[in-house]
Amino acid sequence: MRKTILGELEELVLLVVAACNEDVYGIPVMEELQQQTGRDFTISAVHTTLYRLEEKGFLSSSVGGATAERGGRRKRLFALTAAGGEVLLEIQQTRTRLWQSIPQAKLELMGLSANPF
Amino acid sequence: MKKSTNPLPDQPPRWADQLLEWFVAPHLLEYIQGDLHENFHKRVAKVGIARARREYLWAVFHCLTPFFTKRQTIKSSYSNQPSTVMLSNYLTIAFRNLWRQKAFTAINIVGLSVGLASCLLIVLYVLHELSYDSYHAHADRIYRMTMHARMDEKDINLAYSTGPSGQALLRESSGVEAVTRLRKEGAFLVKHGQDIIKEEKVAFVDSNFFSVFSLPMMKGSPKNALAEPNTVVLTKTTAQKYFGKADPIGQSLTLGNLGLFRVTGVCEDVPSNTHFHYDMFGSFESVKTGDKWLASGAYTYVRLREGHSLAQVETISRGFVSKYIAPEIKEFFGMDFTEFQKKGNRFGFQFQPITDIHLRSDLDDELEANSDAKYVYIFSVIAFFILLLACINFTNLSTAGSASRSKEVGIRKVLGSVRTQLVTQFLTESVLLTFFALVLALVLVFLLLPSFNVLSGKQFTVNDLVNGRLLMGAVVCSLVIGLLAGSYPAFVLASFKPITVLKGKLQIGGRGGWLRNALVTTQFVVSIGMIVATIVANRQIQFMQNKKVGFDREQVLVLHDTHVLGAKADAFKAELAKLSSVVKVASAGFLPAGHTSQNVDGVQIQDGARTATHRTKGYYIDEDYLPTLGIGLAQGRNFSKAFSTENTSVLLNEAAVRTYGFKNPIGQQISTVGDGSAGSKRTYTVVGVVKDFHFESMHQHIAPLVIFYGKDNNQLALRIQTNDIPTLLQKIEQQWKATTDNPFAYSFLNERFSKMYQSEQHISQLFAVFAGLAVLIACLGLFGLAAFTTHQRTKEIGVRKVLGSSVTGIVTLLLTDYLKLILIATLIASPIAGYTMSQWLRDFAYRIDLPWWAFALAGVLATIVAVLTVSYLAIKAALVNPVKSLKAE
Repeated sequence: MRKTILGELEELVLLVVAACNEDVYGIPVMEELQQQTGRDFTISAVHTTLYRLEEKGFLSSSVGGATAERGGRRKRLFALTAAGGEVLLEIQQTRTRLWQSIPQAKLELMGLSANPF
Repeated sequence: MKKSTNPLPDQPPRWADQLLEWFVAPHLLEYIQGDLHENFHKRVAKVGIARARREYLWAVFHCLTPFFTKRQTIKSSYSNQPSTVMLSNYLTIAFRNLWRQKAFTAINIVGLSVGLASCLLIVLYVLHELSYDSYHAHADRIYRMTMHARMDEKDINLAYSTGPSGQALLRESSGVEAVTRLRKEGAFLVKHGQDIIKEEKVAFVDSNFFSVFSLPMMKGSPKNALAEPNTVVLTKTTAQKYFGKADPIGQSLTLGNLGLFRVTGVCEDVPSNTHFHYDMFGSFESVKTGDKWLASGAYTYVRLREGHSLAQVETISRGFVSKYIAPEIKEFFGMDFTEFQKKGNRFGFQFQPITDIHLRSDLDDELEANSDAKYVYIFSVIAFFILLLACINFTNLSTAGSASRSKEVGIRKVLGSVRTQLVTQFLTESVLLTFFALVLALVLVFLLLPSFNVLSGKQFTVNDLVNGRLLMGAVVCSLVIGLLAGSYPAFVLASFKPITVLKGKLQIGGRGGWLRNALVTTQFVVSIGMIVATIVANRQIQFMQNKKVGFDREQVLVLHDTHVLGAKADAFKAELAKLSSVVKVASAGFLPAGHTSQNVDGVQIQDGARTATHRTKGYYIDEDYLPTLGIGLAQGRNFSKAFSTENTSVLLNEAAVRTYGFKNPIGQQISTVGDGSAGSKRTYTVVGVVKDFHFESMHQHIAPLVIFYGKDNNQLALRIQTNDIPTLLQKIEQQWKATTDNPFAYSFLNERFSKMYQSEQHISQLFAVFAGLAVLIACLGLFGLAAFTTHQRTKEIGVRKVLGSSVTGIVTLLLTDYLKLILIATLIASPIAGYTMSQWLRDFAYRIDLPWWAFALAGVLATIVAVLTVSYLAIKAALVNPVKSLKAE
């Protein structure tokens, strides 16, 4: 698997999928994103991102769960793969390293609390 | 409404869903649409139906991105492999398939290559025809000035203009950059040392000729080479002929009676795509050009300044008529200009773009016989049709051949082949086939080039073919043909459903049937049309060759250039007359066929107080001429030495008697206008009337002719009576050699006569060749169709045989289908061919009626050929043991 840089939306979506206990499909991911960020996402954007992540090997998908509201249409369910977990960890480590290299006083001087965790 | 079990009341907009279903790729549609619907229901609950619908629409629009529209391809499993591997696989399979079906492949390749080859040859011809004179620098600004007049209700359109007009134009019009003139003075006997050679292609041109026309000078100055009188520029080949490797500059040649000429330059040979081809260019100053507007002429070329319109030059040239020509009218026609105009007479000048001369100019006294744009169109259409026929064939044969491959397609599909791969496979095969055909076509063209040159009167070399864009075009063209012709069978085959195919059922039944029938019918329409054209053209030529021409053209020998004998001519004639096989000898500068002197004069007839002037062609003959050629007298007498007044006697032909309105022609007075000088106006008395004879080609009606008494010793005509012509020729040549050291040349009147219709003969031969090709290609097409249908009807034939049908019955059954097609083709082709050929016949003043049987014959011929082609297959199919055809399922 080649090393891939993730975009912001991709990273968010991957995190949302990772946060869920079971397989998720487009709608819950979209709602969670809206709730967490306060921004509006279209279903098409979410789907595009999910498929792209699957193509990159960070998500796997299966088919399931048709309901009446969906007009009997099945869902495309996504789950985190090992590669997906790895890439998330990697991102977090990079971030932490970068955080640690910020001088403590700098952010305090600006009147900002510097506690990332 | 809360979560409803009944989804109907609050559905998203129908059309938005349809848009989504149409746009989004099937493998993505279900999930995205499901999500959209789910979200929609949630939103209905939250914000109401109206807003939810709006949001739904918005969300759908967001889906209209390339990501969603892209159809799923079987990328993951195949596309990662390098495409060359797949391509080589396609090629291997293609080769195997082509090799396995050798007969089909051969028919296919031969048909297509014949089509491509004839198309290539025609394109070669058409491109050459279109390229005439376009190579001159500023060809778009060079025009030829021509003169047009109407006199005595007859139009005169001359390719040349009057002598002084070009210089006048240069003086008076600011838009004219250069004017150059050319005069031809007929053939010359050119003397160099002891050698005397006859040169037909001699022109006399202004000194700036080589700067207007792009004929590069290899030696000598392009500007000043022809500034002085009695200087000459030779083409490369001619210079070599006379001087070999020696430097020709400064050498001298004697040109007939014009005296000694100094060679001052050598130019490249005149390219074949020029409307004139001369070997020698003498200086214009060496020959006399009158300064009268009405009695001088020169081919006049005008180059305009850049950005100047032709209209301005035309306006100025219109002014010339009243300014220069009007004063001369009185002198030549004995009336003033207003009276002249009142009679409906007029003069005018026109300008033709130099690039149009070869294809669009058909004036009197052209420098060379021009071609006709009509033929370029006809041949382009023929090329197109032949190529179309070949492509149709190709498609038909490929589709037919593919029928036997339906199982292969089924297996391939079952083993996981996808549509694109199958299509690529079949396209590879057809492109490969077209390239084989192209190679074969190039070989054919190479082999046929010499005979094509004879047929078309051109000198193409292999270089013309290989050089330049033609070959590129051919390659691109065959690629396109391969793709187009291959696409129908490719897509039909690739769309086979594996289950049905493997069950043994063919799917290309009735669906493509009408198309294939239509294609074959089209082929036969073209073939039958071409056959009709060939028959009609042949009949017309036979008619012209066999029509009574008013003179006896058999056993007449013509000796050329006898004027070189000078004073010895009479003695030579007398010697010839003594030969036992020579019946009569006459001076015959004027002859009704082939090279002849020309003479046109205005003839005035006094009718009471009125004088009528007729432009009439004239002949100068001696007293032996009429009996030698076997031209009969209608009234009066022939010229005779017994009368001393013959110099003022004249004979007319019957057409002239009718035109002049003589009731009793003998004894009537006519007078000639001449060139305006006092000596050239003379009065003659009509002493006899000759029967009409064709002194021009059959394109024209027999025109009035005035025959004067005089000797034109340019040629001698001998009526001979012998079966041993070589011996006679030998005797005459000995006689000639004893008298002069000039070259001995002769021809036969009947051969000269046949040559007049050479262009028609060429056309008819070309028609015959292309008709043959069209029939050949159509037959291949029919063979393909028949092979296909008989294959499809194998079972039917088996069942019929089991039920007691005879072999004849089955053959008839199979044949009737094709005969129906040919009948339809005949019905369609007849009116089209009939109309076209009656248009062609209109060019002839003497022509045949359209033979009705030509259509029937063409139909019958097509039928016979078709039956021969199909019956092999039909009989083979009918003879097959029904057990064999029925057991296979």
